Amino acid sequence: MDEATGLCRGCHRTLDEIARWSVMNEADKRSVVATLAQRKQQQKGSDPCG
Amino acid sequence: MDNLKASYPQGSDPVRLPSAIRVLERGWLSSNNIVLHDDAETATVVDSGYVSHSDQTVALVGHALEGRRLRRLVNTHCHSDHIGGNAALARAFGCTIAIPAGEAQNVAAWDSEALHLDGFGQRCERFAFDSTIAADDRLTMGGLDWQALAAPGHDMDSLMLYAPEARLLISADALWENGFGVLFPELYGEAGLAATRTTLDRIAALDVATVIPGHGAIFSDVRAALERAYGRLDAFTRDPERVTRNAFRALIVFYLLDRQAARMDELAALLEQASFFVMLNARSYRLAPGALAQKLVAELTASGVLRVEADVVRPAG
Repeated sequence: MDEATGLCRGCHRTLDEIARWSVMNEADKRSVVATLAQRKQQQKGSDPCG
Repeated sequence: MDNLKASYPQGSDPVRLPSAIRVLERGWLSSNNIVLHDDAETATVVDSGYVSHSDQTVALVGHALEGRRLRRLVNTHCHSDHIGGNAALARAFGCTIAIPAGEAQNVAAWDSEALHLDGFGQRCERFAFDSTIAADDRLTMGGLDWQALAAPGHDMDSLMLYAPEARLLISADALWENGFGVLFPELYGEAGLAATRTTLDRIAALDVATVIPGHGAIFSDVRAALERAYGRLDAFTRDPERVTRNAFRALIVFYLLDRQAARMDELAALLEQASFFVMLNARSYRLAPGALAQKLVAELTASGVLRVEADVVRPAG
């Protein structure tokens, strides 16, 4: 996880989103995915950790 | 590993789980972690992911504990993607570690070959275990009674965990929504194909509403998953050479998910030095390491799993 942003350096989701992912419905997953490109920009330069 | 591209679940309805269970769905490098709230104060976790993700595993498990103390970690089997966070979780939370009885000797002696480490291009942090679980043992996790069931095939000592009342199965790598883990025992001449059939038959005989697999999304259409698994097993049985090819592909992708990138000559060196690759190449492809690296990367690039830029190979995702 990236300490500054609280996001995973690989998938750009928050801890809470990763934790809830397995029981989220499709619509909620899509709304998270829709924000990922922008978050990726914020994290540019970080090494991926998975 | 053929289903790498299908890592997002297709169904629109989320699968329901008992309120005491949190499934941390990871990827292919790290197994899923299952956090079970045993009571208001304590919790158990099943499987710990790959070593290079262990900081994130500690953070995710810590979050999913919701204030509880992690008292126990249970492993379904002792492969690097299921035990890689064991040492880190024990350090962070002071939990005990229980492993399948059949793995006790390998872990105690830290047998790199038996644990599929150096010879397979994989890594793991050494840990000490506190107890073992044998097939048919009973345990209580998340307020539910579970039975440990033998699940040979992907690993001869692997266990599945079954909660009859909740109709819930923790299937490890014996059954995924689309397939199952590499049949390593078959490649060692240990009748892994027959063992896999026994294990699938065992699952088919259970009353299961929900499967929490070792990798990928939770699923509830067990019948369809079993049909796909039997189909795959039949194809392997007709042409056992496919087991070898599947292992090569899976292990190369796994290596790249761990390292994130490797040059072609690094992959060739891996194929030349790692004992498991050397054994399979001698038996199956019989190619020079460089040529074999080129061939495998070309196949995996064509299936959209890897990409190559300026001689550097990376996972496509």
